[in-house]
Amino acid sequence: MGWLHRHRSVTPYLLLLPGLAWLALFFLVPLGFLGYQSLQTGTFESGYTFDWAFSNYWDALSTYHEQFVRSFAYAGIATLVALLVSYPLVYWIAFRAGRWKNVFLLLIVAPLFVTYLVRTLAWLNILADEGPVVGALRDLHILGPEGRLLATPVAVVAGITYNFLPFMALPIYVSLEQVDQRLLEAAEDLYASARQAFLRVTLPLSAPGIVAGTLLTFIPAAGDFINAQLLGTPRQYMVGNVIQSKFLELLDYPAAAALSFILMALILVALLVYARAVGSERLTG
Amino acid sequence: MTVAGGMTRRDLVGRGIAGAMLLSLPGALTACAGGGHNASTEVNDVLRFSNWTLYIDYDEKTKTSRTLEQFTAKTGIEVEYHEDINDNSSYFAKVAGPLSQGRSIDRDIFVFTDNSRYPQLLVNKDWVEPLQKDKIPNIVNLIDAQKSPTFDPDRTNSLPWQSGMTGIAWNESVTGPVESVEQLLDDPKLKGKVTMLTEMADSVGLVMLANGDDPSVVTDSTFGKAVERIEKAVGSGQIRRFTGNDYAQPLTQGDLAAAVAWSGDVVQLLSSNPKLRWGIPESGAMLWTDNMLVPLGGSAATASTFMNFVYDPQIAAQIAAYVNYVTPVKGAREELAKTDPETAGNPLIFPTDQMLKQLHAFSGDALNNQEYIETWQRVLGA
Amino acid sequence: MRRVRRYVLPAYALLAFVYLLLPIGVVILFSFNAPSGRFNYVWEGFTLDNWLNWDAVPGIRDAVIKSLELALVSTIAATVLGTLLALAIVRHRFRGRGATNLLIFLPMSTPEIVLGASLLTLYLNMRIVTGFITIFIAHVLFIVSYIVVTIKARLIDFDRHLEEAAADLGANEWTTFRKVTLPLLAPAILSAALLGFALSIDDFVITYFVSGPTTTFPLFVWGAARVAVPPQVNVVASAIFVVAILVALGNVLWGLRSRRTALEPMPQALPVPEQLHHAEPA
Repeated sequence: MGWLHRHRSVTPYLLLLPGLAWLALFFLVPLGFLGYQSLQTGTFESGYTFDWAFSNYWDALSTYHEQFVRSFAYAGIATLVALLVSYPLVYWIAFRAGRWKNVFLLLIVAPLFVTYLVRTLAWLNILADEGPVVGALRDLHILGPEGRLLATPVAVVAGITYNFLPFMALPIYVSLEQVDQRLLEAAEDLYASARQAFLRVTLPLSAPGIVAGTLLTFIPAAGDFINAQLLGTPRQYMVGNVIQSKFLELLDYPAAAALSFILMALILVALLVYARAVGSERLTG
Repeated sequence: MTVAGGMTRRDLVGRGIAGAMLLSLPGALTACAGGGHNASTEVNDVLRFSNWTLYIDYDEKTKTSRTLEQFTAKTGIEVEYHEDINDNSSYFAKVAGPLSQGRSIDRDIFVFTDNSRYPQLLVNKDWVEPLQKDKIPNIVNLIDAQKSPTFDPDRTNSLPWQSGMTGIAWNESVTGPVESVEQLLDDPKLKGKVTMLTEMADSVGLVMLANGDDPSVVTDSTFGKAVERIEKAVGSGQIRRFTGNDYAQPLTQGDLAAAVAWSGDVVQLLSSNPKLRWGIPESGAMLWTDNMLVPLGGSAATASTFMNFVYDPQIAAQIAAYVNYVTPVKGAREELAKTDPETAGNPLIFPTDQMLKQLHAFSGDALNNQEYIETWQRVLGA
Repeated sequence: MRRVRRYVLPAYALLAFVYLLLPIGVVILFSFNAPSGRFNYVWEGFTLDNWLNWDAVPGIRDAVIKSLELALVSTIAATVLGTLLALAIVRHRFRGRGATNLLIFLPMSTPEIVLGASLLTLYLNMRIVTGFITIFIAHVLFIVSYIVVTIKARLIDFDRHLEEAAADLGANEWTTFRKVTLPLLAPAILSAALLGFALSIDDFVITYFVSGPTTTFPLFVWGAARVAVPPQVNVVASAIFVVAILVALGNVLWGLRSRRTALEPMPQALPVPEQLHHAEPA
């Protein structure tokens, strides 16, 4: 391998080539086609023609703005709940769980080992109208006597939260674990209370984890359609459901493509805003 | 429609990114005349059959279908049976790609419902092979009502597999009988515990009947009236959601009181919950038929041999006894009565003449009307 | 107050774990159910029958095998591509590094539905028949980014002393790579591969768009969910779960061992100059 040693500058490009080629060919090019398709008009039966039909975008936004808002709302709520639920849990594991840390971490990740669909279907069992959970909520008068959880926004958001919780938890754990204990000891030496130590030392140091976790949760959640399909009704349908229906049922490819691009664009915008607020190195790491 | 030549130039201009792209999308999707058709009359060793789930007799113990085994024994043709159809649109989306490119999908038979746009669409686009009727002498057993459907008036390309009725099913432990569409849509006691089907023909058809209109001839006003009524019920929270087969579980469990449902499903569900009932609403019910078609590139010869086999009344009886849907084969009921009089007497599987008079089909034209389709999709919430 | 506080957090953790693991419990429990009808919803009786006859449902066996095959080949391909990419990014300076980082990051920040839809559009336009290969391509695509991120994290913390020492002892680059770098990187590569495998086996959305006539296990479940989910689906899901947990546990234990070996103090006969202490910055 002396050749490589002499041609040092070639090495990175050789290493990069296969991976980048794959990404370029199967990520960038398809997006190009999608863009092309989004500017077409026509129907499945009569065929599509390329028309610079920017009206597709306008139509998509105006017809489905409700679903867009809903998607971002659900994803946002789910992300927030996931953050609130997983932070204390992960804090406990990082600081109090001692030798068994990795085992508990495994338990957090465990739900991911059951097929996404199957674990969502399990919630159909758990939240059933005649099941124990709804029964208990009715007894506690949190739900009315005819109240239900399934086929409501609550079930959909709960499903999204559950499915993406490990993606929120793990990055936070990683950054919490790297918090140097000595900093906390120093804070204590400086007469900080436990609460102050947390707010002034731990929390800020875990910020990168929170950022990463938020992104890893929010982005897939915004494009999800499975939870809405299985746990909700058409009134909870998100953009993902519309895209899926346009693509695979209505065979209205231009509209579906336009919707996909709008979704991507909106997410990128949200990302940029977030990145600006937070510092971009944290994102691409 | 645009000419292939003109398209190519605009292609290259519009898609510099993609580099050399020689085939235009419209070209790919519409240019289908010829290319890929299989006109051979030779019968193959293997029949590749795509069907809906739970749609052929199946013995749990031997893990096979007696019908298929008997077919193999009689003709020497092995059957590759695929239960990969769960609903018309998603299956169509799966096969549209290769079919549009003139390619075979490695199947000899697939099955689509005539109350969806797909049989008509497939025929229009020439994505099916004609049946070889000389191999189907048993075609005389086809019941008269099915001899000439609108999408295939001469039965050139299709034969029914099973039919079904769409009516109203209810769970007796949750509610009393639900015998009219009115009740389904307006009864406050059923609020939030009612579902309708996603299939436009089923739901809209049923409501059109309740409005006194004829679903086999759909006009903008009759369509609009029915859709309005449904939308009202959705808005008021009366209708919980729209379903495919997935009304079955909540209905059985009692999460639902009533549902627009398929007759055969309910028969099959009775073993899980004997308190389920199904009935034709006062104003009438919808009839639909799942049709066997031969996809482009499939072997019509082999497929036709199989179709002939299942049009034997004895075999048809065997299938109907398990599947519990309505058989299109004359004489099947009599055959079944010899071995299983109870099933043979079940009106959900063998509807009486009185019932047949109350069954209606949905207009084929309306099924392919883009505006109606989009309106309905909006009602469904997508 | 301190005493109560001591118990609040663990109690909360316990509740959180119950919440996380409840659905898994339900899935595993109902794999042992003996339903009388189509639906596996109400507990009716314990049976091992579903486990013994896990492939009694037509199509499930093929779907599972297809999923495993896909996961295996996709993971191997993606791990190779991803490891190479990670090595390039962390250890070399080259033009377009920022853009490369971005390109790798983009698929992770694109919703699966857009990835699936765009790939389907590609296949339709290029007249490519959808099936195993198209799913393979799609899986490698979306797994590669996760692999790069995982290995990158480990590479950044990588202690280069051992590699420098090997070079000092006369090993050339390739030998160093083979005998020092790779074994030390192995746990991270394995973690990344496991992650990739899990992602592939579980993928539904992208596969849904590009699978054509092929059925993987998640696609099978989706189809079944529209009719009635047989207990055998629970059996397969539980089996995958158990195997995954065991493998993950194994990896955790092995990782602990390797790290201990890597951190063992070097023989003092070879003082290492200060400037070699710093790994290349990200």
